[in-house]
Amino acid sequence: MPFIWRKRLFLLLLPLLLGLTAWKIHPETDLNAFFTATDSEDSALLAGLLQSGELSRRYLLMVEPNAASPTAALPKNPAAATATLSLFTAELVRQLAGLDAVERVWPAHGPPREWMSTVQQYAPYHARIYSLSPQDEGKVLFDPGQLVQRAKGLQLALFSPQGGFLKPIAKQDPLLLSLNGFKSMRQVLDIQSRQDSNVTALVLQSRPAALDAEAQASLQNSIRTRFDALNQAAGGVFRLRMTGIPIFTVAAQAEIKRDVTLVSIVSSVGVALVFLLLFRSFAALHWMLLIQMASFAVGALACSLAFSHIHTLTLALGASLIGICTDYPMHVLVHCAKHRQTPVSAAQLLWPSLLMGGLTTIIGYVAMGMTGFPGLGQIAVFAAASIAAALGLTRWVLPALLGDRNLHPAHLPGIGAWVSFCERRRPLLLGVFAISVIAALATLPHIRWMDDLQKLAMDMGEMRREDDAIRSHFTSIEPGRFVIVQAPDMEAALQRSEAVELRLQKLKSSGDLADYHGLFPWLVSKQLQTENATTYAAALNPEFRDAWRVALANAGLSVEKLGSLLPASADPLRPEAVLATPVRQIVSGQIMQQKSGVALSIWLGKHEPAKLAESLTGLEGVRYFSQKDQLDSMAQQHRDRSLNMLAVGIGIMSLFIWLQQRSIVNVLFTLLPSLSAVLFIFATWSVLREEVSFLHVIGLLLSVSLCVDYGIFFMDNRGHDTDITYHAIASSTLTTLASFGALGLAKTPTLPILAISVSLGVTVGFLLCPLLIRSGLEKRSNR
Amino acid sequence: MRTATGIGMLWLLLALPLGVIADGNGLAELFGRIRLTGAAEFRYEETRILELAAAPVKSTGYLLSSPDGSLVKLQLSPRRIIMAISGGQMLYYDEEQKQRHTASLSFAGSAQQQISLFRALLQGRNEELQAVYDFTMERRGKHWKLALNVKPGQTGEDVPAMEIEGDDRNGKRQILIRQADGESSRYTMEKTGEGQSLEFSIQRLLLEAAGE
Repeated sequence: MPFIWRKRLFLLLLPLLLGLTAWKIHPETDLNAFFTATDSEDSALLAGLLQSGELSRRYLLMVEPNAASPTAALPKNPAAATATLSLFTAELVRQLAGLDAVERVWPAHGPPREWMSTVQQYAPYHARIYSLSPQDEGKVLFDPGQLVQRAKGLQLALFSPQGGFLKPIAKQDPLLLSLNGFKSMRQVLDIQSRQDSNVTALVLQSRPAALDAEAQASLQNSIRTRFDALNQAAGGVFRLRMTGIPIFTVAAQAEIKRDVTLVSIVSSVGVALVFLLLFRSFAALHWMLLIQMASFAVGALACSLAFSHIHTLTLALGASLIGICTDYPMHVLVHCAKHRQTPVSAAQLLWPSLLMGGLTTIIGYVAMGMTGFPGLGQIAVFAAASIAAALGLTRWVLPALLGDRNLHPAHLPGIGAWVSFCERRRPLLLGVFAISVIAALATLPHIRWMDDLQKLAMDMGEMRREDDAIRSHFTSIEPGRFVIVQAPDMEAALQRSEAVELRLQKLKSSGDLADYHGLFPWLVSKQLQTENATTYAAALNPEFRDAWRVALANAGLSVEKLGSLLPASADPLRPEAVLATPVRQIVSGQIMQQKSGVALSIWLGKHEPAKLAESLTGLEGVRYFSQKDQLDSMAQQHRDRSLNMLAVGIGIMSLFIWLQQRSIVNVLFTLLPSLSAVLFIFATWSVLREEVSFLHVIGLLLSVSLCVDYGIFFMDNRGHDTDITYHAIASSTLTTLASFGALGLAKTPTLPILAISVSLGVTVGFLLCPLLIRSGLEKRSNR
Repeated sequence: MRTATGIGMLWLLLALPLGVIADGNGLAELFGRIRLTGAAEFRYEETRILELAAAPVKSTGYLLSSPDGSLVKLQLSPRRIIMAISGGQMLYYDEEQKQRHTASLSFAGSAQQQISLFRALLQGRNEELQAVYDFTMERRGKHWKLALNVKPGQTGEDVPAMEIEGDDRNGKRQILIRQADGESSRYTMEKTGEGQSLEFSIQRLLLEAAGE
């Protein structure tokens, strides 16, 4: 196709491509989706539990006196102060409950009222759900000698303010058996606040998902606005503190947004400046920018076709790819300028090297994508498509865009001197290199591996402290450690869960476990229901019934209304029916559907991990799950996989280079600079006692894939002018440093790690090229 | 015909406000009489008719009202129980059973709501009651009676109907609380004290109930 038509076609299709991309991409802000690997069932379980249900959508709010208020203070009389706080909180709750994004809000010292009423719905099933161990507990519950005391207790309860709540239960279940399982209801029903008259703790359940950062940010703003207005009217005597997963989500989202913007701008400006510095041509710059734009759009579009959403971090890292995509046009432009060749002949001349360089880079990214992180998989697709597009555009469109334009590249100082120095002092430098390699190898066993993934998390120290401070007002379950019960179906899972709860009860009574949140009696297995019903039927003999009626009469209660002890209901309480009621909210986050069946979790209070784990021995499908242990284990798995992928990536790159070069020696020479760079960087980290994570390894894998290009170009030296080739490589190195260096400005810790790893890798690799690749030097011509 | 209808409507419009004003004046006068402005103490006898009790349940004790709106119910027989409303809180303390509860009235259930309404009636807070009840007043000489019927559309079962009656000659009052399910409580009260000196007792009982 004639150049003019290529140019017109490109300029016509580019806006369409950009429009299509903007229409297709749906940026995803879910951090877990990016970082949490879901290819193992445990990882999926962990991710699911972190994100699931109502628990993650809850805020913990605290309203307390504002000690810092200089102008106003609460009444000094404690009772009056408490009353003021109580009235203020009541109005706040009323207003918050009216917000569209709020599902419910309630004071943390008690469960929401509708949850209490769900307990009443269990009364008809009292004979089926009263005990985890009916045969043992039945001896006490159905002891006729205890009935006088129980009737007295019933009388006291019915005559107390709780009488209204108990009456409908007592009419169906006079022995209040259905409440037996709920004895520790105050502990079972969710989190609660410690009674503190100076502070009111509230639980707010939002409607939007915890990770819907935009909706959650809007809700947080509304909460603060309502509070501020009320507080202003009250004289500013109170202050509001909030925590919860959505608070962290919004903060993280804000940081990521900032990082994405910063990285994109700095990276783009950096690459443009490097380009201008090298070629001093705005015309060439704008064609190059259009090629970058098209490559970026192709990457984003490919990603959106391969995945339902594209993560904002993918776009951020994708922005750093701009630098790599610039490499290919840059090589053409340098050769074109230095050799006074036309762009088309330069592109034709360099095409084999460009193709091989692009291929090895794609291999590096694909290997990175196979390390297990869903987010890195996206970046691999993004990179592969972008690089392929950049290569194609460089070969077939760039010459059409540039036409016969003359370029005057700047001479980079020191490039020629370094090449000459390497040539002159080769024996000495190779000696130093050999000693360095031996020394570096010696340090490798001392590398410190990072086994705590938390160290890679965003620094939210202040928010964590606030979270701890707020949570200290709640009697809370230990976060991140629980018992997991897995079974092929719900019935089997409930049976196993009940076996666990029996063990936990023993542990609790011995003081080794402060508390736990199980599923009994909210959900009870059919097997246990039958056991309960059988024990109940056997206990309710005529003697027992008579004793109960006498006890009722003695307590002044109606024998007519409470004297009939009904048989167990014919139908069991079915989990599906229970989960259709508000009970679903209570057990939210404790039931997970898995590929292999059902997983139930039992949350734990303070405990000794070793004792708890030991107490569960012998129970099938049951294990103690520690989120931290799981994350640590994931860190190790990722590290091992990254190292494997580093090796696999290098292997595949070697194969492709061999296919082109057909010489093992050439393959070794091509790879040597990048591999040596990796070795020296590992050694430096080892000496500096830097903790090395899988991200460091991934960064080095990328640096290898980029640096191998330098080896290929240097080895091929298609212009038969080492100085020009090395200038082109230097230009590529500078743009790579400009783009990847921008990642170092990010606050998300993962990005600076990649920035350091890649930047160090390409710099060292670049410097080693003229020293280690002799075949290129032989072709060097004197200018 | 059309003119006759128009005149009828006019009379109706004129008559309606007059009836409301006349009724409003009587109510205002009665609530003014009931209203407790200072600290007051009543000895009470309560008779509860409960669906699940074999016989009426009787109890006696004192009701103490404070000018800040606090109300303490000190039951002495059959056993000592303190139930109180102070600020936005409801307090319950059963010494014998060692049970102590605190709940915010705003988030409380039906029992707490009923106690709030009882307090409003006892202390003559008509503004709190008007939103929930329609009033019917009867007066025969010094004896008066005010019936509070739940307004249509109020969320039903938890709001009881109430009656208060009294006699200006002896200062005695009776309050009857009737639940929708048929249960009822009848208080017979006699004022046994008033004035600043009761404040100390009220505060002491509130502190005891709160466990402070």
